[in-house]
Amino acid sequence: MNDSLLPPVLSRRLALQSASAGFGYLAFSALSTLAADRAANPLAPKAPHFAGKAKRVIFLCMRGAPSHVDTFDYKPDLTRDSGKAGQRPGAKLLGSKWEFSQHGQSGQRISSLFPHVARHADDLCIINSMHTDIPNHPQATIQLHTGNFQFVRPSLGAWTLYGLGTDNDSLPGFVTIAPPNGDGGSQNFGSAFLPAIYQGTPIAVGGAGGLRARLANAMGNEPKAPVSNVANPRLPKDLQRVQLDYIKSLNIEKLNRDVHQPEVEGVIESFELAFRMQDEVPKVLDISGESAETLKLYGIGAGTTDTFGRQCLIARRMAEAGVRFIELSHGGWDHHRNLTNGLETNCGQTDLPIAGLLEDLKRRDLLKDTLVMWSGEFGRTPHSQGTDGRDHNNKGFSLWMAGGGVKGGLTYGATDEYGYQAVENKVHIHDWHATILHLLGLNHEKLTYNYAGRDFRLTDVHGRVVTDIVA
Amino acid sequence: MNLRLRFAIPFLAGFTAVSSAQDEAAKVEFFESKIRPALVKHCYECHSADSEKVKGGLLLDSRAATLRGGDSGPALVPGDADGSLLMTAIRYEDSTLEMPPKYRLDDAVIADFEKWIAMGAIDPRDEATPGGTQPMEKYSSTIDVEKGRSFWAYQPPKAAPAPAVANAAWPRSDVDRHLLAALEAKDMQPSPDADPRTLLRRLSFDLTGLPPAPESVEAFVAAWKADPEAALRDQVDDLLASPAFGERWGRLWLDVARYAESTGKEANALYPHAWRYRDYVIDAFNADKPYDEFIREQIAGDLLPYSTDIERAEHLVATGFLAIGTKSLNDQNLRQFRFDLVDEQIDTTTRAVLGTTVACARCHDHKFDPIPMSDYYAMAGIFLSTETHYGTAQTAQSRHASPLVTLPVPDAKPPVEPMSLGQLIDVQFRLDREREQLRERVAEAAELRRSGDNDGAQRITLGLLRTRSEIGLLETALAKYDDDGRPLPLAMATQDSAEPFDSQLLIRGEEDNATPERVSRGFVQVIHTGDEEAIPTGQSGRLQLAQWMTSPHNPLTARVMANRVWHWLFGAGLVTTVDNFGATGQTPSHPELLDHLALSLVEGGWSVKSLIREIVLSRAYRQSSAYDEAKFLKDPDNRLIWRFTPRRLEAEQLRDAVLAVSGSLDLERPVGSPVARTGDGFVGRTVRDQASLTAESDHRSVYLPIVRDLVPESLELFDFADPSLMTGDRDTTTVPSQALYLMNSGFILRQSEAMANRLTGDLGLRGPQLGLMAFQLAYSRPPTDEEARKTAAYFERFLATAKESGLDEDSARRTALTTFCQSLLSSAEFRYLN
Repeated sequence: MNDSLLPPVLSRRLALQSASAGFGYLAFSALSTLAADRAANPLAPKAPHFAGKAKRVIFLCMRGAPSHVDTFDYKPDLTRDSGKAGQRPGAKLLGSKWEFSQHGQSGQRISSLFPHVARHADDLCIINSMHTDIPNHPQATIQLHTGNFQFVRPSLGAWTLYGLGTDNDSLPGFVTIAPPNGDGGSQNFGSAFLPAIYQGTPIAVGGAGGLRARLANAMGNEPKAPVSNVANPRLPKDLQRVQLDYIKSLNIEKLNRDVHQPEVEGVIESFELAFRMQDEVPKVLDISGESAETLKLYGIGAGTTDTFGRQCLIARRMAEAGVRFIELSHGGWDHHRNLTNGLETNCGQTDLPIAGLLEDLKRRDLLKDTLVMWSGEFGRTPHSQGTDGRDHNNKGFSLWMAGGGVKGGLTYGATDEYGYQAVENKVHIHDWHATILHLLGLNHEKLTYNYAGRDFRLTDVHGRVVTDIVA
Repeated sequence: MNLRLRFAIPFLAGFTAVSSAQDEAAKVEFFESKIRPALVKHCYECHSADSEKVKGGLLLDSRAATLRGGDSGPALVPGDADGSLLMTAIRYEDSTLEMPPKYRLDDAVIADFEKWIAMGAIDPRDEATPGGTQPMEKYSSTIDVEKGRSFWAYQPPKAAPAPAVANAAWPRSDVDRHLLAALEAKDMQPSPDADPRTLLRRLSFDLTGLPPAPESVEAFVAAWKADPEAALRDQVDDLLASPAFGERWGRLWLDVARYAESTGKEANALYPHAWRYRDYVIDAFNADKPYDEFIREQIAGDLLPYSTDIERAEHLVATGFLAIGTKSLNDQNLRQFRFDLVDEQIDTTTRAVLGTTVACARCHDHKFDPIPMSDYYAMAGIFLSTETHYGTAQTAQSRHASPLVTLPVPDAKPPVEPMSLGQLIDVQFRLDREREQLRERVAEAAELRRSGDNDGAQRITLGLLRTRSEIGLLETALAKYDDDGRPLPLAMATQDSAEPFDSQLLIRGEEDNATPERVSRGFVQVIHTGDEEAIPTGQSGRLQLAQWMTSPHNPLTARVMANRVWHWLFGAGLVTTVDNFGATGQTPSHPELLDHLALSLVEGGWSVKSLIREIVLSRAYRQSSAYDEAKFLKDPDNRLIWRFTPRRLEAEQLRDAVLAVSGSLDLERPVGSPVARTGDGFVGRTVRDQASLTAESDHRSVYLPIVRDLVPESLELFDFADPSLMTGDRDTTTVPSQALYLMNSGFILRQSEAMANRLTGDLGLRGPQLGLMAFQLAYSRPPTDEEARKTAAYFERFLATAKESGLDEDSARRTALTTFCQSLLSSAEFRYLN
């Protein structure tokens, strides 16, 4: 069904109704119930607007804003003038403590903080001219995810899922692994006015370091499952199906009474998805079949890289299983002080797992249609805060993308001589969003949702596709 | 010396002003002749910017660096030689910390250091040393506070006559007239009244967090028929008088107060006494404590007059509000820890009470609101002059334990069992043994070091970390009992420090970059009441802060609370950004109505119950939630309140409703908390019994243990407020993990079974009567015809399928009934308020 032909509310109502109409007539076999659900499933794959190279997204979100001038934006002038007066009164420029060297055939410059990621330099498209509106974590984090920090709007993952559906309707089409609570919380994976089924489902994959895992270890138990309650200890599957059909019929009744209740639609769909997830989730989260070599590739089992390594591996397994949008979060990049130790710790925890993920995707021939993106909500100042820290900087920062139809081995755009603001080929968050959708085969001006009489889109009235980085 | 006290002093001493200039010169001379040469000779090799490798992260080549300290904390505490790590090290008191490592200094040199620190550790090496601190910077602000006051939120609320409305028959009060006028301006009319069953369910959940009992529903329906206004008034009075009211509304405030029973962050130490604050809040709402008093007690209860010990105890417990925040107990930098603690207090207090984000002005002037950095440090001085008593044990991972306050009245029912004499002796014995072991091993390590075996000494030292932690925990455990083994009534609370002082202003918020001049303690200037009191010498200023906040002329306090109450009753505030009334927040949808409610709150003696009564008796609150396409298209977010917005039950409401319907709910308040019984410790390290910390019980959800990062699943999955963050407006997500919980969790399965037993056993129901009662319990109404048909069909189909699967008939019937109950509890109707 083409959503643009029918008002979304109406098309979804019809779909839900047709699913419920089947009840009395269909045989009670799982197969026919499944068939009825398929027809109504809002997660069913949809054709893109045009052929896009990227089929799915893995977003590595570095919360707190990593310093660009110490990682991906090489600034020899900053090193040279370290100690001289900076732009902010009283502040002094702080040259990077890390050496930048050239990597791969492309010779991209990456600092020594990311030795493993640097091995994939020829796959990375580094954008050094990013900018965003507000140098405050909550606003910038929400803008990074939804484009708009003033109003509650659907997140990038929700738009993607709405636009493309998903290839595996037994898993949520949008998964967010261990998302932090602050800075907008669930808004960052929310669906706002889009149907609730498009919001991200949080999954608590932790490593050995997580609190619940530590407690479980102390008790001699297995760590808590990332998704709990995936099996009913008392009810066989066929009887549970009968029960869920009854719950669904009660909910449809309510929907009929309430006329318009998007949240109840969301409840109905979430039960159906949950029912299917019972079989699929344990499979996708079970990494016992992965080879020792693969675990090592991600740094699993090795102290500092274990947690993020596991999360990256689960991301690959999800991607493989057909999940459309997977977000990973890594926190603690807000280095107002302790920049030296802080960056080394954070990069140390993530560098190997990310490189492992890129390598593994490549080996499985998934990188070509998986868009991997690494970004924080903004960057940091070239001048110092204290002796060993950097303040927020929204005027210029770096992110990188790989696979999924972006040009590898490309450094795009530039900040000024010190890295204070983007000056060449500037890319705003809206432009970045437009480009992501473009890579997925979606026209950001046409991916709209009618809410209360107005067509909304991820990029609002902004956004320019950065065609230079599209392969 | 007591370790706790040792760590409490540096901040105060660091700020102590110096005396005369002459005196000063003599002290500098002493430093130059005795101390500097000793430092250069004995310490700089490893502890200066020029060292090849700086050891222990410690620099001793500038005053600031010395105060900042290294990995083990500040090297010295000016004025307190015994409390200074530097002295411990050079005296060779602690084998894990002997400096210089290769030889002990002469006693004369040690005595010089002692004298120097006792004199205040005067140290002129501020500007000269490279690699030390940066030169002092000047602070200046371009914010025009006076001009900033013209913003709506800083203007006093204005009384305005209620507007005239065309549909004069509809309104019941001025609240209605304000709303209706705005609707009529858009050519809209409100929705008709909801039916009495729906209305009672709404009221009951809103005021008590519980569903109405089926018999109350029938009684209300009958009374409504006779006289709707009287029926409603009586019902509202009953609900407001119920103890369940405080449990619902107290919990709402606990979100704002970021209530939790542990520090969170890396160390996550338990707060075994936090529950007292929880009970205080619940009791305050039940007693309808005037809101201004409620706030004054939380900010400055310890400074308020009292007439009885019971009142005194209540006041002290109230200040737990300032003590229960998150803390980074493993922060090595004591000054940083102190400023972070104060920052957390400023942030929570100003957002909770004033809807103002003052903490944004910590590192620079507020970027959006007219709040200069100096306002922040004016408030910081108040909290720096306050001692926050939050407990926790002093261990290797946690360097910031603080004592607790003993309440003047013993607990009628102590939260923990008393200790027998035998137990007391046992703990004391273990403590003595650990201490003895520590002494022996320390001596052993010293011996090894003297013989040149540094590696061996190091091994012993590392092994002692556990012993030290054990000692800290045992000491803390013992401190909770009197000599007879009776538990002491301990509380988290605040007190004024002995010598209050003004804070320096920290350039860019950097603790080692303080301006020489200090900021007089005071309040946020743009929030002007006209009756601000000066802070007398010798006081922290918290009392005056509390009075300024609760002045009837404070333009924000009443507005913010009235808006919170509105938000809690309608699902969205008149200002939707309930914690932010600043420039980046939203403006009110109905400014006159907001002012009316704020004035009403103040004029009603700050009675929260009266304000709630006024709102729920309005015609607006009683509207049906029915959808109306034309109105929806005009106002999809229902900002004009043309209907009651359908709303999902919050996590506690859902869980409590399940327990209520199954008949399992225990309405008694439990004594204390599982966290109190667990006692001090570090979650996941010394505290390993996850079951007791996430334990499900049949008590109301407000009494579940709330440990940071370990919130019970029944709450966490349904968008419970993250207790590490101050939350005025919870998220609402609909995700499959919630469905999985309702389908498969042990809690829901047990409660479904209990409900089935209640229906067949306690109530002795069968067949259609059973079905009817099940719906009345779960939905507060009988089933619709369609629902009845679907239900009958369900039983048939379930039994048929069970038969096919070869289930015996008895257990099939049993399971059919249980899953029927579960289905009602899992359905959308049960979870959504209309």
